[in-house]
Amino acid sequence: MQIPDDAVKITDDTVTISLKNASVVDQIRFPGGTGNNLGTAGVAATLSFDITYSKSGASRHVQPTTTDPLSPFNWEGQMWNATNSGTFSLAYNDGTFSAQGSFDSAGNFGEMGFERNGSFVEDRSDAAGLSEHVLDAAKLPVNPAWPSPAQNHSNVALAQNTQGALQSPSGPNFRGKIPIRELIH
Amino acid sequence: MPKWQKLFLGAAFLALACVPVWGQGPPPPQVLPIPVPGGDVFLPAQPIPAGGVLPSALFNVFSPGVGAFLDGQDAEPNVITNFKGHAAMGYTLGTATDNNGNQYAVITDIRVYRGDYVGGTPIYIGGGTTSAKSHGTFVLI
Repeated sequence: MQIPDDAVKITDDTVTISLKNASVVDQIRFPGGTGNNLGTAGVAATLSFDITYSKSGASRHVQPTTTDPLSPFNWEGQMWNATNSGTFSLAYNDGTFSAQGSFDSAGNFGEMGFERNGSFVEDRSDAAGLSEHVLDAAKLPVNPAWPSPAQNHSNVALAQNTQGALQSPSGPNFRGKIPIRELIH
Repeated sequence: MPKWQKLFLGAAFLALACVPVWGQGPPPPQVLPIPVPGGDVFLPAQPIPAGGVLPSALFNVFSPGVGAFLDGQDAEPNVITNFKGHAAMGYTLGTATDNNGNQYAVITDIRVYRGDYVGGTPIYIGGGTTSAKSHGTFVLI
């Protein structure tokens, strides 16, 4: 579900979601319906929740270990373990059911960080993807750090200098200030 | 019936709002730009091409983590492909109370993604798409 950007706040150590009155469909059972998919008719409902993820421990750098597009290990990122907790409320639109509650990670797995997949990983090995490579390097520094929300904004990233940026060995060897905008299409 | 019921409300959550990015089940995939609260319009994101088979259908979501029914610590946490940005996820346990005072155990897997992605923009008369870059925020509930 796509939501407004301002429903999510990102700081150095936390991610907070505050979603109000999202229109959803309660599928009752999971899996369910024909073919054990999500094929039940479901009940229209409204859901609100607040949840905060908090970073913990050191980061790990995840590298793709395969190029298989169907594998869960074909992505790259800088991830931290994370705990989370939150509250929620929901109500069927027909008024027949409503509930509210709270939850927390309680030792279960959670993580947060910065990642790229699909074409953004494939581009890194292509000379044609150099522009993305340079841009990405500005967002994903060699030294692990949670990028600030401002850094994640593309026009700010474009203003970054390229010190420390990774470059393809076979790519152009830029020196000095690079007119990155010229590389972005 | 005991107050504590073995109803995993979180499982229902899994089935709630994730349909647009999961390949199975209604409604059909959206091919038109999606208006969201606040007035903005974003391109629809594309689901990752694979995921878990549960039990006979493919759902376009992996389960990061170590343990039974999980795909490994470094398994893909995203349900959107061609994505670059922030991601956070976590499994939780909790409790809920309904409007009749019944209590429930809650299991959730809530994920959030904010970043750049390559979505599909329809340009052909049949709704066929070409790639287009966009930026957005998504939750998997």
